[in-house]
Amino acid sequence: MLHVIYILILIYVTFILGIEYFKEKNWKMQMAIGFVLLIFILRILHIK
Amino acid sequence: MKKHYISTAIITIVILITGIIASLEFHKMHVPEPLYPSEGLSSKRMLSDYFPGIRGTNGDTEVYIFDSGKPGATVFLAGGTHPNEPAGYIASVVVLENLIPERGRVIVIPRLNNSGFTCTDPMEAFPQSFHIKTDKGVRRFRFGSRATNPVHQWPDPLVYSHKPSGQQYSGLESRNLNRSYPGDPNGSLTEKVAYAILQLIEKENVDISYDLHEAAPEIPIINAIVYHEKAEDIAMYAILELEFEGLKYTPELSPKNFHGLSHREWGDYTETRPFLMETSSPVQGRLRGKTNEELILDGVSKNYKIAKETGALRIVYRDEGEQLNHRVGRHLSGFQAIIRAYNVFHGDNPVEISGLPAYNDLVEHGIGYYLHND
Repeated sequence: MLHVIYILILIYVTFILGIEYFKEKNWKMQMAIGFVLLIFILRILHIK
Repeated sequence: MKKHYISTAIITIVILITGIIASLEFHKMHVPEPLYPSEGLSSKRMLSDYFPGIRGTNGDTEVYIFDSGKPGATVFLAGGTHPNEPAGYIASVVVLENLIPERGRVIVIPRLNNSGFTCTDPMEAFPQSFHIKTDKGVRRFRFGSRATNPVHQWPDPLVYSHKPSGQQYSGLESRNLNRSYPGDPNGSLTEKVAYAILQLIEKENVDISYDLHEAAPEIPIINAIVYHEKAEDIAMYAILELEFEGLKYTPELSPKNFHGLSHREWGDYTETRPFLMETSSPVQGRLRGKTNEELILDGVSKNYKIAKETGALRIVYRDEGEQLNHRVGRHLSGFQAIIRAYNVFHGDNPVEISGLPAYNDLVEHGIGYYLHND
């Protein structure tokens, strides 16, 4: 159950970060957000 | 505004490509390398046959049974409890691919913590695999993690409380198979795997059992044989015999209050006589320096040479390096010496094997000579 809660939290944070990613105008910041998003998405998909 | 969309598209493509490459690399770790059992193999089962609770999970693993058909004792050999300790894994593979049982039975599980082979430890820069040359080509072996893959068992508790003793460890140890015995059929994946192993030992009436390991050169139990108190006579006899062959092993009695480990719980919960062997592996040490495949295979580390010379720590490190050939050879000689010692004390129910190389053979010919490709 705890595992599911963590994944749900991660999906929520990824969603918020995804919005920021598309709103961000500075490409350097966008790159940084993008790589953090990548790690979150891999985790949500259970790829490790 | 248009410029913003273009940069977003470019960065998204870069990140997608990175993600695909990373996913493919992660996927490689989930593909088990083929193993080629010797003609002495009688049957192959799965660990889940002993406890169906792990069927279909990443904790399930192959169990190879070598039955001579003649009455005798049963031996259980486990490699890969910690998949980042390659000598234990490779020693069990060499046994699997060369063993001929003459009397009694030998059961081999080369990838005891199967889940641990699917990832590496984070923040350690370990290579994902290493390669060994054989007469018919090169074989790839995975270098895994000390613990169960966090994707298969997550999150870790802050403090891991061992069942049933209540002994407390750091949360990370909840995924350490060698802190999880006797296991729990309703517990975490690691506890279920530990429970399945105890079921195997009990149902197969295992007389002698081995858990092959490695550790950093600064760890005190390097080159030791850890034994349960009920196997003291066998351990001492084997260590003396090995000493005559020029191989030094330290006898270490399994502490009664150190719970969750194979050399303690296998012996406490079943009739088996457990042994755990350790070799010196620089790739696991804190002082190792550059971490690559050469360090796994050749075991040459300038840092450990310097550390040994300072004398500040007890460092088990040979100047020529701690080669994988040497480390696997120690495990194989120790394995066979314990069987011979067992036979001395249990002549009415012996186990006899052939086909296995010993330390000198491994050092002379290398591991690849004893690995097969078909």
